[in-house]
Amino acid sequence: MTETANLLRRLPTEMGGLEAGKVERVEHEYLPWEKRCHALANILDMHKIVSTEEKRRGVESLGAEMVGKLTYYERWIAAFANILFQKRILAPEELARKMEEVEARWASELAKIAPAGSASTRS
Amino acid sequence: MSERQHEHSHSDHAPIADAGGMPGYYEIMETAVRELLVEKHVIGADEIRRMLEVMDSRNPALGARLVARAWVDPEFKARLLANGRAACEEFGISFFEDTQLVVLENTDEVHNLLVCTLCSCYPREILGLPPDWYKQKPYRARAVTEPRAVLAEMGTVIPDDLEIRVSDSTAMLRYLVLPQRPPNTEDFSEDELAALVTRDVMIGVARISPPKKRGRRT
Repeated sequence: MTETANLLRRLPTEMGGLEAGKVERVEHEYLPWEKRCHALANILDMHKIVSTEEKRRGVESLGAEMVGKLTYYERWIAAFANILFQKRILAPEELARKMEEVEARWASELAKIAPAGSASTRS
Repeated sequence: MSERQHEHSHSDHAPIADAGGMPGYYEIMETAVRELLVEKHVIGADEIRRMLEVMDSRNPALGARLVARAWVDPEFKARLLANGRAACEEFGISFFEDTQLVVLENTDEVHNLLVCTLCSCYPREILGLPPDWYKQKPYRARAVTEPRAVLAEMGTVIPDDLEIRVSDSTAMLRYLVLPQRPPNTEDFSEDELAALVTRDVMIGVARISPPKKRGRRT
């Protein structure tokens, strides 16, 4: 199988049978926003807006680089945004504006509790 | 969701002062998507919070109770094996997604193991959210081709004469392992039986260590 043929045959998320290292028993406590992201997924599925299958395809269509570099729920929310754009439930511009609003709200909340200039970005 | 509630939901779990500042880009995106969907009445204002409560009620202890019920009630077990989802719903476990559940029974001949090679499908309605290793490449890549080696790495040695059957979950079809009731548990109550069953046993990466024979109970 040539390398380019494999690119077509294997999706970026398809792992079965690949060479891989030892299984490390890593676990982390889910962060509150990760749980909310998961709850959103369940709600969107329940309302027949985004099915589990569409979500998986949405993650795959982010492409190998994003699949490789984003964390699990970062991939999910990015995929949801794209799917909701495609379904014309949300528009890219309005999401961009809303994100600015959310960010500004956080900044003002933080300014109330922390001295100016000390805020840093959580990864 | 009001700004106040929003703030509250964060400070409940992750004090923003300690976390040291602004949420990351994708966390902001999550908040923005959620708030827009609520503003547009695509989802209800309260739905996420209620779903979080439901999700918190799903954890391996719930699966363990299900397994213990199957052990003590042969008719329930038969229904569970015949139609996993229907039997779970009868047991009070609702499903969030349009998925089917197949319960795989371990026997003297077969040990079952669950994986999702494509993504991270998992019986979340019963066990809650999956551990990170279940979602990462080494487990997903190798569980289907060398399950015995993978299990040994995870501390579970399966005898060579015991077949390992690996089931690869999909968006539409989830699995759950029904372990064998261990010996020396004849006089165990349903709760005591449930206490023997762990998450990893129901994924198939661990086996139940049989309890020691105990004296007559008073």
